[in-house]
Amino acid sequence: MDTSLLLQPMVALILWTMLIWLWMYVTRIPAMNKAKIDTANLVGGTGGNLDELLPPEVQWKAHNYNHLLAEPTLFYAICVVLILAGQDYGLNLTIAWAYVGLRVLHSLVQVTVNRVMYRFMLFALSSLCIIALAIHAAIAVFH
Amino acid sequence: MDIAILAPASVLVIWSLVMLFWMAGTRLPAAKKMGIDIGAKPGGRGPDIDPQLPDTVAWKSHNYTHLMEQPTLFYATVVILALADAGHGLNLYLAWGYVVLRIIHSIWQATVNLVNVRFLLFLASTFCLLIMAINALWATLF
Repeated sequence: MDTSLLLQPMVALILWTMLIWLWMYVTRIPAMNKAKIDTANLVGGTGGNLDELLPPEVQWKAHNYNHLLAEPTLFYAICVVLILAGQDYGLNLTIAWAYVGLRVLHSLVQVTVNRVMYRFMLFALSSLCIIALAIHAAIAVFH
Repeated sequence: MDIAILAPASVLVIWSLVMLFWMAGTRLPAAKKMGIDIGAKPGGRGPDIDPQLPDTVAWKSHNYTHLMEQPTLFYATVVILALADAGHGLNLYLAWGYVVLRIIHSIWQATVNLVNVRFLLFLASTFCLLIMAINALWATLF
């Protein structure tokens, strides 16, 4: 099997998620020190508990990291379906890159200004890409 | 296609289901002991009762949720490496490293759960994934 070009947007979004992961810790660890959280003896809890302790703009990075592990799981699955069904070129490739571009913008909005209307519009547009890819995948595998 | 790298991914799927049973096997008896009637009202979700249960019970649930997060990237990366014929050598070792570290992370979170050790385990596993993802980029870009 030739290496599919559709693997590229998948890898791009994975690496983007890792970058947000890094951004989360680069802001979270100093904020935890500043909030005087005794990490040496901290037992239990989850990252979500920090919502009550850290400034919102610090947690926005974590919110986006979690967000990137929600709907994009469908994106990866659909891309694999399209590759295995031989539909991994042309319009589908463009839509996949559009999804990645929109998710990058969505991340940047959520971790900085986080105006919900902009965030929602970007999320809605990116979801339309998922819907289009899913319909194409459905046509390819059921037709 | 490089099938070998699908093995560690399969192990992590099975491990996640082990955690599911561990979670259910501790949560349901604990809920019963606390006199919580799970069937009392519709719409409840597992984590809703976590605050009422002992911490060690909720920790299993925290870890199960955790396994549904970053590992989704791991599965996608594994499939990319397999399809790009790059699922061998270093990438295969890293995939096994990721899975072993996540299993240790699970056991730690579900039992002792000292956060700084948990964080280091998570950090180490993330580095495995990060290197795999960068290798996936090279394998698909050129």
